[in-house]
Amino acid sequence: MANSLTQTQVNQSKTLMLFILAMSLSGLENLVAEIIPEFQIGPIELGISSFIFIPLVLVILFDNIWVALAAPIGEIVFADLILGEFGGLGEFEEVILLTMGLYLAGRLVKDVASRKQLIIAALVGFGFTELAGTMIDIGKVWIGIEQLEAVPGLPESIVALEGIDFLVEFVITGIIFGVLPTLYFVPRLYGKLEPMLGIKPREIDDSRNPLPIAVTIGAVIAVILGTTVAFISEMGINIIEWEADFLDKFGDNFIWVPIGIAALVAVITFILAKNGKTKEAKASQEG
Amino acid sequence: MENIMKRLNKISVENIKLEIMRTTFGNRDTFLSQLDPRVLMFWYLIFAIFPWFIYDKIVLVALLAFVTFIAAISKVSKVIIFLLCFGIASEIICYGIVAYFLGGGLEAFLALIGLTMKLATISLASIAIFGNIDPERLSDALLSWGVPGQITFAVSFGYRMVPVLIEEYNNIINSFRLRGKSPEHKGFLYWRQLLHMLKIAIYAFYPLIFNTAKRTRTTVEALEVRGFSYALQNKEVKKLKLAYLKIRLKDIAFLAGSVSYVIFLMIIVK
Repeated sequence: MANSLTQTQVNQSKTLMLFILAMSLSGLENLVAEIIPEFQIGPIELGISSFIFIPLVLVILFDNIWVALAAPIGEIVFADLILGEFGGLGEFEEVILLTMGLYLAGRLVKDVASRKQLIIAALVGFGFTELAGTMIDIGKVWIGIEQLEAVPGLPESIVALEGIDFLVEFVITGIIFGVLPTLYFVPRLYGKLEPMLGIKPREIDDSRNPLPIAVTIGAVIAVILGTTVAFISEMGINIIEWEADFLDKFGDNFIWVPIGIAALVAVITFILAKNGKTKEAKASQEG
Repeated sequence: MENIMKRLNKISVENIKLEIMRTTFGNRDTFLSQLDPRVLMFWYLIFAIFPWFIYDKIVLVALLAFVTFIAAISKVSKVIIFLLCFGIASEIICYGIVAYFLGGGLEAFLALIGLTMKLATISLASIAIFGNIDPERLSDALLSWGVPGQITFAVSFGYRMVPVLIEEYNNIINSFRLRGKSPEHKGFLYWRQLLHMLKIAIYAFYPLIFNTAKRTRTTVEALEVRGFSYALQNKEVKKLKLAYLKIRLKDIAFLAGSVSYVIFLMIIVK
């Protein structure tokens, strides 16, 4: 009994350590990225939105959900609250998306020494978060402005801008500040950082399915929830009069936005899970 | 133009560090900082959600004015306000220009002003509130709402750590620059110089990660020595820790006053 209590306490303090480490580092990284001047043309930022490699590297090294969760929370605490960019309930969506993207990245890596896996993990982790975020952004502006359709040219301009923004983000933040530094940092930190926290370095683990079914289902539910909450907060619909008023105002199409995003997530995760499984099957056949 | 350049020159890393230091450690004597943190967060929630319900421009202007007043009496940092205004202005102008080329004209511009006012109201409310809550009080408020103790501790710890970490990062970058050799040819549009700086900015995280890991471990060990994890699970300890949080008449008056102002606005418009 006493033994199990100490065991949980040891685990708790390790979790606490990981959480604080990931939170301070990703918060700092975000703050630095905010401070670095960027060339901004309205919503399109030709700059660094974050040094995304910091949370990516940590989540790949530790493969822990708390590390993934710490990154968006660090961003909120350090950068958003202090600089006054806290988006209210909209941050909820960011927490879910970024946590999922990072956790996905950590799970995708089975062998820390494999460069290919690192590249894929970094791209998927960032790409997922950014793509879902862009879609939600388009939806937000689309619905946030009354009679948007009445203003010719505005819907197209918003979609065009957000699309370009996504591409720019993906190249600058995702590749230059995501993939490349990840490739530099992971081999250098592996086996050095973990002992400092009293944690065993990750071992090569081929047998594991990258995405257990529970995670997939959880992800889909989380995305539906997150997107819906984000939309509610952005539109300010009256929850009590949900059905009657809401659909009249925004049309039936709205409901497809969260469902569509969720479906996309489901498809991606299933494809990834399937790949993992076929590889597993092959490995077991050969073995 | 000269005036703008002067202002821009004021924004340096050193200055921002000072501003952040002031935001996280200063502002203890303002009106808002004396209120109960739970009331403040609740107030913020009202002003973060409510603007989205409103499409009437007059109400939005009145709300924005009210929040601006609150921000003004709570001594919000000027640099942060400047950054906020700059961002909002450039965003409006850009959407306007693109919409104009795609055939929207002035109407598109007007349609966006409502949205921008909503965003500005929410941002100002957030700056006023979170610049004035003491980090410990913020984390205690979260704890009293049932957020896990690990997270609330991390929040207040993080708040305190920011200036230290920025200082350290800045020092590492400076020593990199002292020891390193910057490129001889600047290149077209200084791209070599920029690349050099960005590389340093990335490499500087390497020692920082180890330093932070070491510091984190020391902190957590110190916490555990004093029974932090154990205390988290103990209801008595939590009660004792949160005993000082009391909602007083001042808090109720502030909240009631704000809410009645909003209701008053709604009635007048209707």
